[in-house]
Amino acid sequence: MSDGGAALLTLARWLSPAFPVGGFAYSHGLEWTMAAGEVGDAATLRSWVSDVLAHGAGRCDAILLAHALRPDADLATLSDLARALAASAERARETEEQGAAFARAAGALTGLDIAPMPYPVAFGAAARGLGLPPETVVAHYLQAFAANLVAAAVRFVPLGQTEGQRVLAGLAPGILRLAREAAAASLEEIGTAAFRADLAAMHHETMSPRIFRT
Amino acid sequence: MLHPPEFVRPQRSHGAAAVDLATASGAARVERLAQSGCARAFLVAGAVPEVVFGNTAGGLTGGDALRYALALGPFAEAVATTQTAERAYRAAAGEARVTVSLSAGDGARIAWLPQETILFDGAALSRRTRVAISGAGRALLTETVVLGRAAMGETVRRLAFADRREVRLDGRLVWAEALRLGPDALARGAQPALLGSARAVATVALVGRGAEDAVGPVRQAIGEEGVEAAASGWDGRCVLRIVGQDALPVRRQVRRVLTALGAALPRVWQA
Repeated sequence: MSDGGAALLTLARWLSPAFPVGGFAYSHGLEWTMAAGEVGDAATLRSWVSDVLAHGAGRCDAILLAHALRPDADLATLSDLARALAASAERARETEEQGAAFARAAGALTGLDIAPMPYPVAFGAAARGLGLPPETVVAHYLQAFAANLVAAAVRFVPLGQTEGQRVLAGLAPGILRLAREAAAASLEEIGTAAFRADLAAMHHETMSPRIFRT
Repeated sequence: MLHPPEFVRPQRSHGAAAVDLATASGAARVERLAQSGCARAFLVAGAVPEVVFGNTAGGLTGGDALRYALALGPFAEAVATTQTAERAYRAAAGEARVTVSLSAGDGARIAWLPQETILFDGAALSRRTRVAISGAGRALLTETVVLGRAAMGETVRRLAFADRREVRLDGRLVWAEALRLGPDALARGAQPALLGSARAVATVALVGRGAEDAVGPVRQAIGEEGVEAAASGWDGRCVLRIVGQDALPVRRQVRRVLTALGAALPRVWQA
């Protein structure tokens, strides 16, 4: 078990935008949603991100991550499930590319041999050694996911950096609730109601011009 | 909220129907047909044999259990469907459980094209659809879910719906879709990340080696009025998702895409 303070700092580094995962390149379909005018200010952004967290990929990834953190995790099976659940080509790319980049960087830094796996599974494989409570790891992971979406929106719609941070801060109670739930959830409880966010990810494939990879 | 009394069916019903199908010199042959309880299955012969499953209980409610299974021999082809739309009524207690298991031998092509599932206010339904294909085999699946009946002015607020579909190729999970629709998501209303203004949602998925190549024809077949649809193709999968305010245009869009995929539409589907 690592020292808790040092473990938290490691977690923060791994999830910082400076960690070479390249999260800034992926919008999870939000670019299309913004171009369609469905998200254009703080209120609509907060709703969209909150729904994707609680009812979409946020919830799915949170449960996958919580399972990957377990000492007896079957990482190959979890990876297959994560890949199978990808809602579209770009969603598959988003999780595979970030997972591979994370595994490379975290592996180089820790000396752990982490295979290229979908992002939440690769993250769990690396983070389980930190000895932090699963809900802590999941909450930070979800906040980083949300922060990345907010950062994408700040670049795209008229929304100041501080307004963006206010949106992110407002998502904290939901993130904590979801992290607690995910830490105790079975894989059977994975599921999505984010139908139109999944459609947005598909619409994004044929969108032109576009800035983000997803 | 008032519920007409005919929608409440207190006794629990159970049923299982299983069909094993082989293709001998081009003609489908039923090798095994087992039916129990409220489940039925029959074969409609044709160029592509059609296996029709039915639930004589006339809908699902809490505590019901229904199982459909189809096993297809190597290099065979079959379409499985349901005789009518499946209705999940208000559940007084417990949930209805539906399990669909389809397996296809080496190189076989199997299609699961059931009629829509209509969820009434207060429904509790947990459904699992498992499809196993192998080698160069392919699976084509569709599922349409409708929230209440617009013509009756129904609004669905209370719901416990968990619907998972899984396709395995040579034993390995390659595609999964898990829907989870409960009161929390419904209480969010017409949010653009969730249902928007939609009351009907559908997925069409083609899974198997090279399935991603179907995305071109599938995208060409999008454009039915009254729906929003988009498709994606990658790594042995081609998936189309549709949402619409009403079931009818969603159904039309599903048909149009299945036709573009060269699928035999089930003859029991009403025009």
